[in-house]
Amino acid sequence: MDRIDTHPTHKYGEFDLRCGKPLPFGASIVPGGVNFSVYSQYAIACELVLFNKHEAKPFATIPFFDQFRIGNVFTMVVFDIDYENIEYGFRMYGPFDTKQGHWFDNTKILTDPYAKAIGGRDIWGETPDWTVEYQHRARIVFDDFDWEDDSPLETPPENLVIYEMHVRGFTRHPSSNVKHPGTFAGIREKIAYLKELGVNCIELMPIHEFDEFENSRISPITGERLLNYWGYSNVGFFAPKAGYAATGKYGMQVDELKALVKELHRNGIEIILDVVFNHTAEGNENGPYISYRGIDNKTYYMLTAEGYYYNFSGCGNTLNCNNPIVRNMILDSLRYWVTDYHIDGFRFDLASILGRAQDGSPMHNPPLLETLAFDPILGKCKLVAEAWDAGGLYQVGSFPNWGRWAEWNGKFRDDLRKFIKGDPGMVGAMAQRIQGSPDLYQWQKRGAFASVNFITAHDGFTLMDLVSYNGKHNEANGEGNSDGANDNHSWNCGWEGSTQDININQLRLKQIKNALTILLVSRGTPMLLSGDEMGKTQRGNNNAYCQDNEISWLDWSLLNSNAELFTFCQRMIAFRRAHSALRSNIYHQDKDYLSHDYPSLSWHSTGAWNADWSYQSRWLAFMVLQQRPQSGTPRNTFVYVAMNMHWEAHDFELPGLPEGVFWNVFANTDMQPPDDIVQPSQEIIIENQTQFLVGPRSVVVLIGK
Amino acid sequence: MEIRTETRDGITIVEIIGNIDSNTAPQAQGTIMPLIDPNCLLVLDMEQCHYVSSAGLRVLLMIAKLLATKGGQCALANVSDEVKDVMEITGFASFFKTYDTVSTAVEAFQK
Repeated sequence: MDRIDTHPTHKYGEFDLRCGKPLPFGASIVPGGVNFSVYSQYAIACELVLFNKHEAKPFATIPFFDQFRIGNVFTMVVFDIDYENIEYGFRMYGPFDTKQGHWFDNTKILTDPYAKAIGGRDIWGETPDWTVEYQHRARIVFDDFDWEDDSPLETPPENLVIYEMHVRGFTRHPSSNVKHPGTFAGIREKIAYLKELGVNCIELMPIHEFDEFENSRISPITGERLLNYWGYSNVGFFAPKAGYAATGKYGMQVDELKALVKELHRNGIEIILDVVFNHTAEGNENGPYISYRGIDNKTYYMLTAEGYYYNFSGCGNTLNCNNPIVRNMILDSLRYWVTDYHIDGFRFDLASILGRAQDGSPMHNPPLLETLAFDPILGKCKLVAEAWDAGGLYQVGSFPNWGRWAEWNGKFRDDLRKFIKGDPGMVGAMAQRIQGSPDLYQWQKRGAFASVNFITAHDGFTLMDLVSYNGKHNEANGEGNSDGANDNHSWNCGWEGSTQDININQLRLKQIKNALTILLVSRGTPMLLSGDEMGKTQRGNNNAYCQDNEISWLDWSLLNSNAELFTFCQRMIAFRRAHSALRSNIYHQDKDYLSHDYPSLSWHSTGAWNADWSYQSRWLAFMVLQQRPQSGTPRNTFVYVAMNMHWEAHDFELPGLPEGVFWNVFANTDMQPPDDIVQPSQEIIIENQTQFLVGPRSVVVLIGK
Repeated sequence: MEIRTETRDGITIVEIIGNIDSNTAPQAQGTIMPLIDPNCLLVLDMEQCHYVSSAGLRVLLMIAKLLATKGGQCALANVSDEVKDVMEITGFASFFKTYDTVSTAVEAFQK
């Protein structure tokens, strides 16, 4: 039976219309037409502007009749429009009074904040036609992708190994040998590689639509225009970046990304999105009108009493995250990505902003963060905070969490970096980091998996650069090397940049292996930066946000030149998987002896059972006990890790083992390949069971079995 | 768009001439779906179809799904590289068997 509301009630020119439904916001395909709905508290009138795809001028402008406004929502159904081939925007009428926070301008055509696809930058790097007044053009999508039996994987965080990557950078380099370089489809072609490495979760740097052309700087090195390559600058919170899709030119980015997610899941790999809810691409008072500013500036942005934009993001504006409307938009966005894209989790860029009140002050109990922690649809997905912002709020260890939120553990990164370069006074801190940072998380009764451990991330040096440069080299960014972090805790091993010196290069490889080993034997969820497993360099650039070129692109030929790093990383990941004691979520307590009078975790040094916590100590060892029932009888495995970050070799006295159990070597970073690491379970028994000489700046992993 | 059908050895061959997009998708759906009988074997000859839009991909999938529920099978033949590529990237290819020619599709059904 036909529904009554499939028939129009009004007419405007050639268009048949009727009052729409306010929810859901955005454009929804309904029987016979499309339901448009947009919120604005302060607009007095609104028009729907329709374009044929790619055309500069609209073919129709349809006002929302007075009776099509419900509360603060303009909504109508437009019948019989070819929704696959149109683009739409809104024109808002309202006050322009910036002191009061109002920026209405009815000469601007505005993107729908709920647009599910956005045209205008369909092919990455294709120079836009700047004369077109509507640059970022809302589109209507089919939301009926056939997921078959797919669903988010819900991998327990203790079993996760995250791999942070840039969609374009991962396969853009010709050496990737994929059919569709730099795209979602390209990642799909590399799933076999990810499985071979052993990671089971990819974290994509921003994939919401953004404008790579918003950067206007010219590279002082090449003279070429620099782009916003990273994309921490949202144009829409619901639309995937068209330029990351091989089918973006056909407007099929939605299906392409969904097909990638489905295939990742089929291969046991989760997908986390890096989401940027702290600001938008509209910048400060001098920025462009894209959407929010013209739709309802006062709702969407945090404003000073004088009407200026607060800038806690360092990017010109701050999204008004704890305004109830914006809060709902963020929730709607996240729910959409989980429901429609089967996304497994989110990493929130500058997440501390999400805990600020509308006046910018940090809140004790931020309603947005609480909502996300308890939301039923987000109930099983990972929520990871970058627990700081550019306004000086630093909340590592104290991010409002309700037991749900994990954090990028910046202290793990910094302490590990200082320890491996041989700083004194670091062994105490390292013991905390290796245990999953109980000093940061235990007081709130959070487990080790509140901590996402990492050495490197997109922000900062790659791992190879961390051991190759003392200082950043960002001249190519065109900002006089003033951008990017200065506190890198890096050490170049004796020469700044690339060198032919064999000893320096060997030391660098060893330092990389040291870092990877400690990361992968530490409790908490480890995260690798894409390329670190093959020694990727950005030539000392620690802020390559604008480098859409060989500085950023992953050169897959490194897999040959640094094959030993890949093998090492792969085997360390496999080792972590094989030993659940390395992945415990429960913090060690001295009383938790399992059996044989051995503690589940114990600290050692050059002397067994006698950790040296002194300031000059650069040596630390620990042992974990893994109780493994086998054929009904408990059989224990011991993992012992000795870390000597001193520049001289030291003998480490090994803890004694029960009768019939012997120490075997799994990894020794002081050795040249193939003796640096073996396949898990192929460990080699050692002759001297009481002492092990750990080379200068080396890590040794033994297994007692 | 034009759709021609013929039956060869009990197998229905549907030739699609022209693009399948939101303008032609309803016609394609309206013409092809009624051809689907229980246990029907259907070959879609795509030689003269050079573009399939999102709406078009959905029509193809609906045909495959309806066939599956009726115990039939669907094959695509003569698919251009570009269309094949788009179907692969967007995940639609996994629902179809694809053959280089109508004859090989027919032979495959007959085995």
